Amino acid sequence: MAEFSNPDTLLVEQIRLGKPDAWNNLIAQYEGRLLSFVESRLRKRAASEDVVQETFIGFLTSLPNYDARRPLESWLFSIAAHKLTDYLRREGRRPAVPLSTGDGSSGNWELAGKARGASTIARSGERRGLEDVAVAEGIAGQIERWREAGDWQKIKCMELLYVAGVANKGVAAELGITEQQVANFKYDFLERLRKCVRAQRLNEDIFPELHE
Amino acid sequence: MPHEYSNAELEGYLEEALPQDRMTEIENSLRSDSQLGERLADVVGKMDAGVHTLGSIWRRNRLSCPSRDKLGSYLLKVLDSEEMEYLQFHLETVGCRYCNASLGDLTQQHASSDEQERTTRRTKYFQSSAGYLSVDD
Repeated sequence: MAEFSNPDTLLVEQIRLGKPDAWNNLIAQYEGRLLSFVESRLRKRAASEDVVQETFIGFLTSLPNYDARRPLESWLFSIAAHKLTDYLRREGRRPAVPLSTGDGSSGNWELAGKARGASTIARSGERRGLEDVAVAEGIAGQIERWREAGDWQKIKCMELLYVAGVANKGVAAELGITEQQVANFKYDFLERLRKCVRAQRLNEDIFPELHE
Repeated sequence: MPHEYSNAELEGYLEEALPQDRMTEIENSLRSDSQLGERLADVVGKMDAGVHTLGSIWRRNRLSCPSRDKLGSYLLKVLDSEEMEYLQFHLETVGCRYCNASLGDLTQQHASSDEQERTTRRTKYFQSSAGYLSVDD
């Protein structure tokens, strides 16, 4: 979600204090959407409920790491996604790829093969978090401007390009515009992000798409 | 025959964020396409090394996802036509898994036929997790 303030801060604070009512509230508020998320993939109610159960336990055990500036719903969905991945691996539905994931639920992907070599740009998690926030704010700002201007076409265009991973040609066909228009929208979007990255004095090399 | 998936889609796959049909399709492709497995490993390597992608930042922060209230308004069809059209695009064309899950939940709540079932589930979740509640030191 675009907003970076977290309306659930108070609820989380109460849970941190060990208040059962607050925990009950959180479950009541979020279990339905989490179950719907997991069940859309598993298509099995009992197994889906088990994954949601593990998600809630995972939330409590990872609570010390939860950054209250992050929307609670996104954090819960990310835990559910990891628990779902674990389940699918155990069931053999998620095929083995040249990775060793360590503890998938922790989100610490580990790569066993050759592709790990790029660690020359490795840096602290805190630094990466700052980079993530800076670019997220840059993108959110552009989306907000487009929304206010009713310029939905540009939001759709960037969403197809960067979130859905559709090529320029496919985006043009989907939206009924020319490839040149797609290229123009993309150029403007990236130019604003480049300015944002420079203003924050971030290393542009870690955002290779900014120079495509 | 090699399968055509963009790196952004492979990232979405790793993040369990693509529409479920696409997730299943990629899983099936991985079983028969070793090159796809290598590409996936390469994508993981870059993620692991800290290279950012715009798609990953966008998805993680859910930058274009409507609020829960907005999804409720969509369900009730009380948004203006342009915004209705955009939400439909976000839900159906992009296939946002999180928003579709939220919409599915809202739809069920509106139907309100399984309140007892919901209460039973919530009690089960609470009882199985409340032991992990603790006061911070």
